[in-house]
Amino acid sequence: MSQQITLNVNGDGHVVQVEPDSMLLYALRDNLGLRGPKFGCGLSECGACTVLRDGKAIRSCITPVSAVGTSRIITLEGLGTAEHPHPLQQAFIEEQAAQCGYCINGMIMQAASLLKQNPHPSRDDIKKALNGNLCRCGTHMRIVRAVERAAGRANG
Amino acid sequence: MNAKGNDLPSASDIALSRRAFLKSSGGLVVAFNLFGPAVAADTAQESVAPPPAGNLYAWLAVHPDNTATLFTGKVETGTGVQTALAQIAAEELDFPFDRLAVVMGTTSKTVDQGPTYGSMTIRYAGPQIRHAAAAGRQALLDLAAKHFGVPASQLTAKDGAVSMLRSASRTITYGKLVDGKRLNIDIGASGERFAMKLAPKAHLKDPSTYTVVGRPIARKDIPDKIMARFVYVQDVRVEGMLHGRVVRPYGVEATLQSVDETGLKKIPGFVQVVRRDNFLGVVAENEWAAIQAAAKLGSTLNPSGPDAGQAKWSNWNGLPQMDQIWETVRHSGGRDSSAVSHGSTATALAHASRTLKATYKTPFQMHGSIGPSCAIADVKGGRATFWSGTQMPHETRRDMAKLLDIPLDGIEVRWFEASGAYGRNGLEHVVADAAIMSQAVGRPVRVQWMRWDEHGWEPKEPPIVQDLQAALDDSGHVIAWQHHMWIPTTADTHLTAAALIGRPEATGHIGSAGVPIKYAYNFENADVAAHDEGRVGLLTAWLRSPAQFETTFAMESFIDELAAAARQDPLAFRLAHLDDDRAISVLKAAAQAYGWQSRPAHANADPSGKHAHGRGMAWVNRDETRVATIADVIVDPSSGRINVGRVVVAHDCGLVINPDGLKNQIEGNVIQSISRTLHEEVTFDTAHVTSRDWQGYPILRFEEIPDRIDIVLVNNSPEHMSTGGGEPSTCPTAAVISNAVFDAIGVRLRQMPFRPERVKAAMS
Repeated sequence: MSQQITLNVNGDGHVVQVEPDSMLLYALRDNLGLRGPKFGCGLSECGACTVLRDGKAIRSCITPVSAVGTSRIITLEGLGTAEHPHPLQQAFIEEQAAQCGYCINGMIMQAASLLKQNPHPSRDDIKKALNGNLCRCGTHMRIVRAVERAAGRANG
Repeated sequence: MNAKGNDLPSASDIALSRRAFLKSSGGLVVAFNLFGPAVAADTAQESVAPPPAGNLYAWLAVHPDNTATLFTGKVETGTGVQTALAQIAAEELDFPFDRLAVVMGTTSKTVDQGPTYGSMTIRYAGPQIRHAAAAGRQALLDLAAKHFGVPASQLTAKDGAVSMLRSASRTITYGKLVDGKRLNIDIGASGERFAMKLAPKAHLKDPSTYTVVGRPIARKDIPDKIMARFVYVQDVRVEGMLHGRVVRPYGVEATLQSVDETGLKKIPGFVQVVRRDNFLGVVAENEWAAIQAAAKLGSTLNPSGPDAGQAKWSNWNGLPQMDQIWETVRHSGGRDSSAVSHGSTATALAHASRTLKATYKTPFQMHGSIGPSCAIADVKGGRATFWSGTQMPHETRRDMAKLLDIPLDGIEVRWFEASGAYGRNGLEHVVADAAIMSQAVGRPVRVQWMRWDEHGWEPKEPPIVQDLQAALDDSGHVIAWQHHMWIPTTADTHLTAAALIGRPEATGHIGSAGVPIKYAYNFENADVAAHDEGRVGLLTAWLRSPAQFETTFAMESFIDELAAAARQDPLAFRLAHLDDDRAISVLKAAAQAYGWQSRPAHANADPSGKHAHGRGMAWVNRDETRVATIADVIVDPSSGRINVGRVVVAHDCGLVINPDGLKNQIEGNVIQSISRTLHEEVTFDTAHVTSRDWQGYPILRFEEIPDRIDIVLVNNSPEHMSTGGGEPSTCPTAAVISNAVFDAIGVRLRQMPFRPERVKAAMS
C-alpha cells in the first residue's frame, strides 16, 4: 500500500504519498514535479537520473524511496539558482556543453560529487568519474572541459 | 562567449504567464505555444489548422514589449538549429537576437517545412525563413512610413526600431509600430515543404553586411537545460493524465494468445489493460503502477520466453539467423540501381595485371537515445491532441488522422523537444501507442517506453554488405573500380502499433535510398550500383547519414587498400584520382592541419613497441557537403583494443550560420561514429532483439574519447551556399579508423564493429 513518506529534497521536507518500494526518481519527478533527474534506463546503466544523497552521486532510478530515510537529496534544481548558478552550471553554459541535454543532469550531478571528493581532478580523474554516465550526442569533449573549468574556478 | 541566457522568459514562465500575456496583448492571437499543464485545457476551442504559408503572421509575431517570435515547422533535436534559424531571422529582420523567441513544430502554429532530418534544415528552411524575415522588415518599414508620413526610402531599420535617415532622434520600435496586431500581410508562397519558396519579392540583405549570421552566438536552449528549467516532452504533464506502458510481443510478429489479469487490480493506481488485437498496454494513475502492471504481463529486461509473463504470445521465430544476416541481405528481393557505369569494368578487371577484391560488412545499429521515447495523447470523439518530440510533427498529424480515422482539422501535435534521436527512433511510434491507449480509456495518456522497448523496438539502421573489386596498372594507377552494395530500406515508416492492431498499412511506406553514395573518383572504368531492398528482419529507418556511413566505410577503406597495394601515400593517391575541387580542398586542409607527412601506409611500423600507432584518412561528399577526417589510433596488439587519439576534421558546408554550433555538431558526430565503429551491433535471436539495454549494446564511454578534435571550416563565406552541417561528418570515421589500424598493425578490418576480439581474430 502507498504510504506518506517524508523526503528531504533541496533543503526542504516534502511529504509524498507513494509505494515504499517505488523508486526515488518517480517521487522526484511525478510527486514533486522536478525535471532535473531523468528516466533513462531504470537499470542504473546510464546516469540520467543521478541525484546527490548526502553529497554523493546516486542513481535515483534504482533507489527505493524507503531506503532514502532522512538523508538529504539534492537535485539539479537545488544545485544553484538563476542568480547564483553552481560553478558547474556556469561552466557548462560557458562551454556550451550540451546538445540535446538529456544526459546533462547526470553529468553535472556526477561531477558535483567528484569535485566534493576531489577538488583538483586531473583530466583522467574526470573521465574516470564520468565513465558510468552515457552521452549519445557525443558532447564528451565539452563536458570534460566544463568540469575542468568549474574545478579551476572553484579552486582559483 | 556570453554566459547569460537570453532575457526572454523560460518555457515554463511563458506557459504560466500566457493567460496574462494574452489579456494584456489585447486580442493578439498568436503568441507562445509552450503550453504547460496550467493552460493545456483552455485551448480546445482554438483552430488547430496550420497557418497559411503565404501570410507573414505564419512566420513572425511582434509583441508590444518589442519582443518577437519566429514560428517554424522545423524542430530542435539538440543540434542547435533553433539558434541558427533565429540568427537568420534576426539578421534579415534587423532585430535583437536576444529578444527573438522561437516556436517550433506545433502544427497549429507553424507551417510544414518538411521533417527535420538529414542535416537539411539550414539548407532548405534557412532561405525560407530568411525571405519571410526580409518581408517582415519591409512590412515594418512600410508601417513606419505611414507613421512618420515619409517614404520608406527615407527610413532605416536597426535593432528592432525604425529611424528617419535624416533625423535619427525620430525613432519608433517595431513593437509600437505593430501595436499588438497580427502581421496579416500577404508575402507570397509557392511549393511545399522543402521546396517551398516564400516572399519572392523580398529584398535580401547583402551578406557582406551580416552581423548576426556567422557569429558563434550561445545557444538559446542551453541555459534552461543546464538549470533544470527546460521542459522536454518527457516532462510535460497534462491535467487528468494517466500513465501508460506498452507490452510488446515476445517475438517480433508473435500473436497474443491470452492475457491473465490476476493481481493487476491489487496494484495501487492500476486502471486497466488495453488490448486491441496484438496491441497490449496498461494504464494506471501513476508511473510506478503502470511499470509494475506491465512487468506482470511480461515487459521486463530479459523475458525468458513467449509465455513467461501473464500475457501469452505465440512462439514466433521468423527472424533470420544473426550470423547469416549478410547472406540473407544478399539474397533478398529488391531493385538494382546504378550510380555510375562507364567504360568496361568487367573487361578491365579480367585483363589487368593486378586486381584486388574485398567484402565489407556492417551490422544493424540503433539510434540509442538516452531518454526512451515518450508522448501524450488525448483522443476524444472527433478530436485528438498530441504532445510529441517527433522530428516530423506535421507528418505525424497526417499519420494520426489516418490511424484514428479522425479528420485532419481535428488533430493537433504540440511539439516539445525530446532526448536526441539522430534519425527516426521510437518518437513517432510512441505517439501511436499513446493514441490507442487514450482512445481506449477516454482520458489523456502519457506513454514512455521502457529501456528495453526502445532498444528492442526502435527502428534500426540496416545491415549492409558490399563487394568491391579494382584493378591497378603497372604504375599503380586505378584503371577499374567496381562497388556493389546490398542495402535493406533505411526508410520504412510503417508504425508498429498500426501493425499490432491489424492495420499495418494504415500509415507509412517503404522508401528507397537509391545508391547512397557520391562517387567522385575519376577512374577510367567504374561500376557503382546498389541493390536496394525492403525490410529484412527488423524494422529499419534512417540513422545519421543513413547507409552513407557504411558506403563511405567501404569506398574509403578500399581506396586505402589500393593505395597500400600501389605503395603510395594515401593522400597523394586520392588526390591523383580526384577532380572535385572542394573534395581536394578539404583533403588538403585536413592534411595541413594535421601535419601530414607523405609516406605509404604501414611503411614505418615499429613492431617492437607495446602499442602500435597509426594514422588514417577518409573523406565524403554527402549532399554537397565535403568532409575530410584524419585520425591517429593506438592499437594494443595484446588485447586488440583500439583507442582514437587526435582527430582532425576539415568541413565544407559553405556559409556557416553559427561556427560554435557547427563545431559542437561535428564533435558529436565524430564521437558517435567512433562509438558505432568500435562498439555497436544490435544482437538478435530468431524471435527478437537481444541487445535490450546498455550492457547488450555498449556505446563509447568517457575513458575512450579522443584526446583532441581539431576542426577546420573550409569555404565558410557567403559566396558558398549553406549546405548541410554536422551529419556528413559521421561518414568518414569508420574508414579512417580501419585505415589507421592497417597503418599501425598491417591488418584490414572490413567488418564493423571493431571490437577487441575481432581485431585479435584479424591479427591471427
